[in-house]
Amino acid sequence: MKALSITLKDLQLLLRDRGSLFQYFILPLIFILVFSGALSSIGSTTKDTRLALAVVDLDGGAGAQALLAGIDAAGGVRPELYEQANAETMLNENNLGRILYILPEFSQDLSEGRPATVRLVTHPDSSAQQNESVLLVVQGVASDITLESQILASLRQMGDMQAGNPQAQEAFSTERLVAQANSQFERSRTEPLVVVKQTIPAKAGEAEETPALGQAVISGITVLFVFLAAQTAAASIHEEKKVGSFRRLMAAPLSRPAMLAGKLLPAFLTALVQIVVIFAFGSLGLRLMGATPVPLENAPVGIALVSILIALCASALGILIAAIARTEGQIGGMSMLVLWGMGLLGGCIAPAFLLDRYLGPLPKIVPHYWANRAFDDLLIRGLGIQDVALELGVLLGFTILFFVIGVWRFDFE
Amino acid sequence: MPAILEVENLVKKYGDFEAVKGISFNVQEGEVFGLLGPNGAGKTQTISMLTGVVTPTSGTARIGGYDLRTQMSKVKEINGLVPQDLALYPTLSARANLSFFGRIYGLRGKQLKERVDDVLHVVALTERADQAVDKYSGGMKRRVNIAAGLVHQPRLLFLDEPTVGVDPQSRNQIFESVQRLNRERGMSVVYTSHYMEEVELLCNRVAIVDQGKIIALDTIKNLTSLLGGGVIYIGLAMMDENTLAELAALPAVKEVVLVPPPASPPAPEGSAPKGTLAPAAPTPLLKIVAEHNQTAVVNVIDYLNKKNLTLTSLEILQPNLESVFLHLTGKKLRE
Repeated sequence: MKALSITLKDLQLLLRDRGSLFQYFILPLIFILVFSGALSSIGSTTKDTRLALAVVDLDGGAGAQALLAGIDAAGGVRPELYEQANAETMLNENNLGRILYILPEFSQDLSEGRPATVRLVTHPDSSAQQNESVLLVVQGVASDITLESQILASLRQMGDMQAGNPQAQEAFSTERLVAQANSQFERSRTEPLVVVKQTIPAKAGEAEETPALGQAVISGITVLFVFLAAQTAAASIHEEKKVGSFRRLMAAPLSRPAMLAGKLLPAFLTALVQIVVIFAFGSLGLRLMGATPVPLENAPVGIALVSILIALCASALGILIAAIARTEGQIGGMSMLVLWGMGLLGGCIAPAFLLDRYLGPLPKIVPHYWANRAFDDLLIRGLGIQDVALELGVLLGFTILFFVIGVWRFDFE
Repeated sequence: MPAILEVENLVKKYGDFEAVKGISFNVQEGEVFGLLGPNGAGKTQTISMLTGVVTPTSGTARIGGYDLRTQMSKVKEINGLVPQDLALYPTLSARANLSFFGRIYGLRGKQLKERVDDVLHVVALTERADQAVDKYSGGMKRRVNIAAGLVHQPRLLFLDEPTVGVDPQSRNQIFESVQRLNRERGMSVVYTSHYMEEVELLCNRVAIVDQGKIIALDTIKNLTSLLGGGVIYIGLAMMDENTLAELAALPAVKEVVLVPPPASPPAPEGSAPKGTLAPAAPTPLLKIVAEHNQTAVVNVIDYLNKKNLTLTSLEILQPNLESVFLHLTGKKLRE
């Protein structure tokens, strides 16, 4: 309760601080407008910037066509048909990063309800990140095809049954149909009809064309500014120490954890509101402005979870900065060097795939990288919460690390 | 009366530096106790330890019967702290500041509102309670700072240099508030200052602190009586070996001491210009403790005239805490 009093007081102070309000809520939107404008100009050429995927269609049937159409429509990947020999020569010479083989009898297997296989072969030097993106898109389309086939098969089966026994009308109640559909959904998940096999690449490093640049702006700026708020959290603690109110709090019957929690909570809540404001702008604002909105509906729970972890991580980083920095100048300096540096390294300003080729695995040492990756997976690649488990785990790890070191180094006296 | 505060050999060290070197004293319930000393004497460090802001290196204290080391949360409920800094949130109103500090001490609802109204009345700020603190004058800020230490009705109030940077009118209001709290509510007060006038006006007993130690502790009357009727400092152009004894034998003179000349730092190597004369030796400075200042001055001047000794300086100090401090340490309080 006493910690909440500190939180309420800090929020009151924040509402009276126009400079901080501007930095929290307005500056990110300005950055988004500027950066999305700049990046749109990169992406607004007539050239198709989707990731190229060479396809060797050894089947040539309707199922293969459906698969290709699905990949083309999914966005992010552009299927291009190649002759097998030509494609393999180009792959060997590293002129192609990967080939998707649609194996013979793919369409026939599909139509008869047997597992049908596609194979993704990647060059050892191709980009692991891009291979992963392609694989996820192909798996997504394959899953849709599986589901569609199984539902059609099921409906066909029911139709046959009804035709065989016209009196059994009550057997096809709504409940029964829903149960049947659920069963098909489950089967499509556990027993996929279209199996995607991949040759795992030996190493990463290939650079290809860029995936949708403009979409990366919102998540990058969100992550950058939420972490920049760590500076404000640290400055708030430093200000308490400077004016002496920290001494007064120390003299009050208030435990040290409660005091830190009281300082951590407003930073956390502010960061959450900040994310809501930025995403609301990304979804509604950009839509109103005629730009491509952020598809928040893709994975709302995952986005909420990532947002909570980012807000916690940034707040814990604020405690750490307050514990390490001794002066206001040091807090400012750390913010410039650490927070902007981390943001740049983590792909908040320049997209990560551009940095990949120069920095290798280095960006992985900052939480911004994982936060960006999680948001990109959920918002751009259309993945689900289970696909960002690693990113969530790493963010949680950073949060615990920052908090533990921050509390350990915190000078209460 | 029982002691509300019993301090036993309190020590605070920072590495090799000993900020507080084993301080011990008691404060009785309902007493206003002064800690007088120059800046850096260890007063704030002592208060910080007694209020739980910093942890003592060794020693302990009992406040309201609770041990400082083992029952800190109980101790904190008894204590009120008015720090030397303006420990307030300047963009919030006085009322919002006081409500916040009240909530930190567990006050809620009607009780909180009543306490806030009460302390605003005590510091005479009721009418401007809803104005942001950064719009206040320095003196008004000081008064809100004091009110914030009172809102939970502490039994023992620590006031750490509460009048620093305050105009005379606000200073008087602060004194009146402290006296009223003590007189009408029986609040015990530990008051630190390097202004001896404040301590003389407010405190029943005083501990004089210097370099982390208490060098004298008594009532103001007993402390000033150390100096008898006062102290006279005289500078002489020259003197002989009999001068000290003859001055000490004069009527109304209690004691005469030759004050050692202040050490002057050596000139930096190579900086002294060649061929210049070495500075003249300082003229003798004598401290005369008088039984009666005026009579002693007349007798001393008369003696010097008769002996044809040239007077180079004369300073007459009335018996007060400033002269007691000077007498005990050889330094002025505000050095």
